[in-house]
Amino acid sequence: MLLINLVWLVPLFPLVGFLINGLGRNVLPKGVIGFIGSLSILLSFIVSIGIFTELNASDIKSFYIPLFDWIHTAAVKVPFAFQIDPLSSIMLLIVTGIGFLIHVYSIGYMKLDNGFGKYFSYLNLFIFFMLLLILGSNYVVMFIGWEGVGLCSYLLIGFWFTNPSFATAAKKAFVMNRIGDLGFLIAIFIIFATFGSVEFGDVFMQAAKMESGNTTLLWITMLLFVGAIGKSAQIPLFTWLPDAMAGPTPVSALIHAATMVTGGVYMIIRSNILFTLSPVTLHLVAVIGIITAILAAAIAVSQTDIKKVLAYSTVSQLGYMFLGLGVGAYTGALFHVITHAFFKALLFLCAGSVIHAMSNEQDMRKMGGLKKKLPITFVTMMAGTLAISGIPPFSGFFSKDEILAHAYEQSPLLWVIGVITALLTSFYMFRMLYLTFYKGFRGTQEQEHHLHESPATMTIPLVILAILAVFGGLIGIPEVFGGHHWLAGFLAPIFEHPGLVIVAETPMNHSTELILMAVSVGGAIIAALYAYSRYVKGSHIPAVDGSSRDLLSKLSYNKFYVDEVYEFIIGRPLNALSSFFYKIIDKGAIDGFVNGLGKATSEGSKVLRLLQSGNVGFYIFMMITGIVALLVYGFYNI
Amino acid sequence: MEVQSLPVDYLPILFQMLVALGFVVLTMTITHLIGPKRKTADKLSPFEAGIEVVGNARTPVSIKYFLVAILFVLFDIEVIFMYPWAVNFREFGVEGLIEMFIFMATLLLGYIYVIKKKAIEWGD
Amino acid sequence: MSALITITILALLLLYLGLFKAKKALLPVALIGLMVALVLSLMEWDSNAAPIFSNMMLYDRFAVAFSGITIFLTILIIALSKDYFERISSNVAEYYALILFSLAGIILMVSYHNLSMLFIGIEIMSVSLYILAGIKKRDFASNEAALKYFLMGAFSTGILLFGVTLIYGASGSFDLEGIKQYILKDPTAVSPLLYTGITLLIVGLSFKVGAAPFHFWVPDVYEGSPSLISAYMSTVVKVAGFAAFLRLIMFSFAPLQDFWIPMIIGMSVLSLLIGNVTAVYQQHFKRMLAYSSISHVGYMLFAIIALNGSSDNAVFVYAAAYSVATIIAFGVLILLQGQVGNDSFDSFNGLARKNPFLALTLTIAMLSLAGIPLTAGFIGKFMMFSKALSSYHIFLVVFAALNAMIGIFYYFKVIVAMYFKEEDRKELIVPVYFKLVLGFSALVTIALGVYPDFIASLI
Repeated sequence: MLLINLVWLVPLFPLVGFLINGLGRNVLPKGVIGFIGSLSILLSFIVSIGIFTELNASDIKSFYIPLFDWIHTAAVKVPFAFQIDPLSSIMLLIVTGIGFLIHVYSIGYMKLDNGFGKYFSYLNLFIFFMLLLILGSNYVVMFIGWEGVGLCSYLLIGFWFTNPSFATAAKKAFVMNRIGDLGFLIAIFIIFATFGSVEFGDVFMQAAKMESGNTTLLWITMLLFVGAIGKSAQIPLFTWLPDAMAGPTPVSALIHAATMVTGGVYMIIRSNILFTLSPVTLHLVAVIGIITAILAAAIAVSQTDIKKVLAYSTVSQLGYMFLGLGVGAYTGALFHVITHAFFKALLFLCAGSVIHAMSNEQDMRKMGGLKKKLPITFVTMMAGTLAISGIPPFSGFFSKDEILAHAYEQSPLLWVIGVITALLTSFYMFRMLYLTFYKGFRGTQEQEHHLHESPATMTIPLVILAILAVFGGLIGIPEVFGGHHWLAGFLAPIFEHPGLVIVAETPMNHSTELILMAVSVGGAIIAALYAYSRYVKGSHIPAVDGSSRDLLSKLSYNKFYVDEVYEFIIGRPLNALSSFFYKIIDKGAIDGFVNGLGKATSEGSKVLRLLQSGNVGFYIFMMITGIVALLVYGFYNI
Repeated sequence: MEVQSLPVDYLPILFQMLVALGFVVLTMTITHLIGPKRKTADKLSPFEAGIEVVGNARTPVSIKYFLVAILFVLFDIEVIFMYPWAVNFREFGVEGLIEMFIFMATLLLGYIYVIKKKAIEWGD
Repeated sequence: MSALITITILALLLLYLGLFKAKKALLPVALIGLMVALVLSLMEWDSNAAPIFSNMMLYDRFAVAFSGITIFLTILIIALSKDYFERISSNVAEYYALILFSLAGIILMVSYHNLSMLFIGIEIMSVSLYILAGIKKRDFASNEAALKYFLMGAFSTGILLFGVTLIYGASGSFDLEGIKQYILKDPTAVSPLLYTGITLLIVGLSFKVGAAPFHFWVPDVYEGSPSLISAYMSTVVKVAGFAAFLRLIMFSFAPLQDFWIPMIIGMSVLSLLIGNVTAVYQQHFKRMLAYSSISHVGYMLFAIIALNGSSDNAVFVYAAAYSVATIIAFGVLILLQGQVGNDSFDSFNGLARKNPFLALTLTIAMLSLAGIPLTAGFIGKFMMFSKALSSYHIFLVVFAALNAMIGIFYYFKVIVAMYFKEEDRKELIVPVYFKLVLGFSALVTIALGVYPDFIASLI
């Protein structure tokens, strides 16, 4: 188990990369920075592969690697330790693998940016924290990673901070995340108070002995879920993710599609036993997930910014994952995390390639006909679109249908909404594809002149990701197609808890499963065809801003006014309260007191310094006074 | 703590102070009262070993004078340490002898230093 | 004991080096000799030390730790004296010798086991200091400082000696152990003479450490004395005074806590108040340091108020932190006075631009004195406050915390002047010895702040 014991190397490489790039950002040439940044992730990836193979070959499926005692007092003991098991090893592969591709892509994408060194140091730091989140063997280490990715996403979203609206977007992401973090933090406190430990092993072992529906567990899971909502952009804290597209596009791919937002899903899978034991929370997770999925999909239908479409689609896909968690399909949710990481990273990078070619134009109404100019981008994006739309045999099909099948078992209603979401997904994705790549070019002459395929550093990652998006689903072929679902088998140890008997799932009737699949695939294809007829056969182009729309499309176009509603019911009262506190409490009471104290001190100083008259006689007199006072005190006190 | 015995315990200190103070006051008053007073010009003039007074008594004196005086006192006083040593010479034995030599050596070092610094040379 | 002998011989050696005109050798010989003394002193680390010289002295861990730190601080200060005394007069060797003689007295003060030794130690130290305060013969301020220090010092020594007498009268012993046995025999029936004696001893020692209301000599003497001597007085001498104070109280008077704790609390509160509040209004750096040193005495008294087995550790850490930072402050002050001729806060304006190294070290020192985390000063304050809290002196701690805030105000005045006020100025020339001492002290300050464990539970 050589490499598993060396697991600390995995986060170490990005950390070293961060330090080198961060310190040398103004000194090192761009080529060196890009090389160091990518190499550090590549090394982590190689170690991760080694860990994965060792774990796969090993009989023991869970390793605990303590590094040092971090907090060690009588009452609290938090070791800084890592945990290697199937779940974390798979996440390691995804984060370092996709992270590496995105680093390579960024070399080309950010080539002309002045903040090249800063960018790569942030990116490395981000990977470092994400790895801590995954590897941590207790909630506290996980929380460090959790906060760290929050911080890095703030830095990266606001990377072009000179643009005020980008800076605002970064702030919004940070604040929304903080709301969730608070929930997570309180959950950790309650966990510590209840179990006396924050180590996963201790907590889960004790939790397994508790009864299902325990109130404390309900609270813990609810609060953990609040944390997950914030990080994974679910209702009601999802609005930061679309705004977060302000950052450079590879950042969107890395943070807001492939890795960070899956932190919430990962955390729930990690704590699966706690959630399994509180069915109420699970139902809530499912409901929130499905509502988020359909709402975000409905919004994506009418967006015109290519990145916004992808952003809402991410929110929607995350909704699917939560639906999967909520119906107990933890494996399905992780499966979807994996496939989504492939195809969403791909789609974002393709979008980046398009934006790059279009001289930073993001509005799809100004694109069109790029098929010939950007052939590689087109083909890879097509692969991504097919995958996300759930067309077999692309990867999204397997993971999405696994979740939908479990949803059907739980409640047909969830399934129906899920299928509708799938239709919408297929529609808006093909709409985006058609608007971008088909028909004639709608941009300016100058933009047309500059159109070009992206350099190899960008297209090679695209191709690799496209291959993964196409074939990634093969790790979980369901039994109905004669597969044996390798992923489910590999992950099984995560869901085994000694002392806890979970009611075995009744295996689904294969014919029912096939029918369900046929319905959702058929729907997706019909939606794709409808988009084809609307945007390629017909010459429909989304209306310019401000033109009149019917109610439904207006709601969708304006993102159901969620931001405005938040502003009205939370933002305004909070502002009023804050200005009250500022003017009355802070300015009046606190400042008054503090300034008064300062004034009193300096006045007192003026008087007291006069005691120091310079006259020795006076000094000795004062000393005698002191002695007499002490003697008198002593006299009465003996 | 014991509060009741306090005044009694302070009594000896009080007595000592009273006696000390009283003795001074008493002797001064009594000599003043019982001594005969005959004032003549010669008696009121400052006494300076029978020689006529020259100038003001508060003339500045060379610092060398004090230096020599202090050095004299310093080395004079050291002799005091010799007496107890001499008295207990047998008991201290060889060890005492060595210790005394170290002591004297230290003094000698000081003496050499003083000479080297020309502290006892009067002329400038 | 070899440290004491080494230091004494070293002083004599330096005197003779001066006689034979080997002026160049003075500083190196003094430094090397002190380092030898430091090593010899540390070699006597022994947990079961027994009293020596007919119970006159006890070189236990407490004594080793405090003589170690005082010798260490003296090394730092003497390293700053390069070319310093030469500017004042030609009797350079005598000054080194005097400093070393006073250090010898200090070693006695931290290792005594008999009140007469305490007295002799204090006298050896004080008499040397009276002269050192006045070494600028033609400077009125220096003369004034020496005279004031002598007058008031003599007065307080008298009080101290009276206290010793009364204690002897009550207990029949000068020996710390003997006094302790006398008190323990029947703590409820101790002679009132002893109580008076304790009070007077506390007064005498409070004078030496400069605790209010016996602090009046501090600002005048510190300001008038040459800065190097002020540095010595406010660090080494203060640490020694505190060690002597603590040793006496811990050894002999602990059973009578109820009697003397309120007195110490009163002095602590008064020192904090007078030191901090008066420092706010000062316009000169040196005088501000004098007042701030009074306030630090107030904090250090906490360890005596909450007396238990670890008080010595707390005082040790605090004293080390305070002294090292103060040496930095005085080092910069010496450069400033020598090259600008003024030490008002305005003369620090724009220092950060011309002398970033000086500004940085001084900033670290100020942060440490103000008790900002990650510096040694924070650890010291933290230990003191937690000690006071552990004996339920909550109001005292709240009061001290308020005072610490005031402290931040005047310490930051310097930082603000250096970094945020622009002024055209010449770059100060920083000799190598200064660079070494300042840099090393700053490193020690940070190191203690980050990892205090290696001295925090030493004694």
